[in-house]
Amino acid sequence: MGLLGLIIPMEGGEEGSHWPPGVHSFDPKPLFPDAGIDWLNTYLLQAVIATILVIVLWLWVSKHQKVVPGFKQWCGEQLYNVVRNGIGRDALGPDYQKFTPYLLALFSFILVNNLFGQFFLSMFPTFSRVGYAYALALLTWLLYNGVGIAKHGLGGYLKMMTMPKGVPWPLYIIIIPLEILSNFIVRPVTLALRLFANLFAGHLVVIVFVVGGTLLLEQSSFLYKIAGGASLLMAYPIFALEIFVGVLQAYIFTVLTAQYVASSLADDH
Amino acid sequence: MEGGEGIDQGLRVLSYLLSGPLLYGFLGWLLDQWLHTSYWMVLGIVFGMAAGVYLVIRRFGRP
Amino acid sequence: MLPIMEISGSLNMIGYGLATIGPGIGVAMVFAAVINGTARQPEARGALMSTAWIGFAVVEALAIIGIALAFAIQ
Repeated sequence: MGLLGLIIPMEGGEEGSHWPPGVHSFDPKPLFPDAGIDWLNTYLLQAVIATILVIVLWLWVSKHQKVVPGFKQWCGEQLYNVVRNGIGRDALGPDYQKFTPYLLALFSFILVNNLFGQFFLSMFPTFSRVGYAYALALLTWLLYNGVGIAKHGLGGYLKMMTMPKGVPWPLYIIIIPLEILSNFIVRPVTLALRLFANLFAGHLVVIVFVVGGTLLLEQSSFLYKIAGGASLLMAYPIFALEIFVGVLQAYIFTVLTAQYVASSLADDH
Repeated sequence: MEGGEGIDQGLRVLSYLLSGPLLYGFLGWLLDQWLHTSYWMVLGIVFGMAAGVYLVIRRFGRP
Repeated sequence: MLPIMEISGSLNMIGYGLATIGPGIGVAMVFAAVINGTARQPEARGALMSTAWIGFAVVEALAIIGIALAFAIQ
């Protein structure tokens, strides 16, 4: 088990309590178990490290800018162009410059946190705890509502959101609660749940492959050992799929944030 | 990439179609609990579905 | 009944599984028509998409009623 533990990406040390994996595999472990602070656990540490990493990365890339860019500046510009052109300009039209910093920070933060799930020192994606996803969705909710109220005024914004044109007025009583539920509640909840469910399910599949493969490899029968080896070999393509899903989910979260802000700023439907 | 507006429209349609039966099914269930009947929730779900489809046609149809 | 002919487990879920065949094919046909029409005449994209959402909503209504009633009726 000791030698196997070096080449197999695995988290945790004790056996026996790991099978079958479920929600309990994601339980947080406090960093300082003897002090009274239980909320300082590994997920908080990962989020703080991701914040510092994102800030340091963007400051480092944007120092000493020249007109003819070197390689470091070119890489930073390519990443910046993906967010500004592909997401900001397409969705927001002429106001894209005001929202590009927030979209860039959101995209980088989600990407770094998702990639923590494949990094060998910390094998958990931060967003597999649902509270982090809810926090980001709350921030986006405050942003697109606040922008809409700032532009149209409170009454005008609610009127635009909840009353479509051309509806005969007795039907308004039926339509308005439906619109309120759909625009103000379903949107941020689906935003958070999409991010959380993709990362949680993906990481659970990885845990099943790796832990199951290790447990199968330790059995005595030879057929079980072949099955365990095949399961561990399959874990590597699943890892690659997880990297792709992490990038895709960061992109979709940012695109939908830009789209919600754009539809709050639009004049009419 | 022009995919942003398409994703947003599709998700809005889906959220109207889901929140219609959810809201009116829940209201129908409350009515069932109060009156001790058993059919108001099903009626609420179907009615909410009709309201959701009507809202989608009003918002997104008729170019 | 012969023991081989008894169905046990949830009958609601079998009903829901059968009910998803129709809407699945229906939505695919709606958006296949949109793609074909846009390929023939790209200027018609806006008009085609707005009719497509009406078609999608009506077809998907049956699937959503199906899953709601599969859980709601015991």
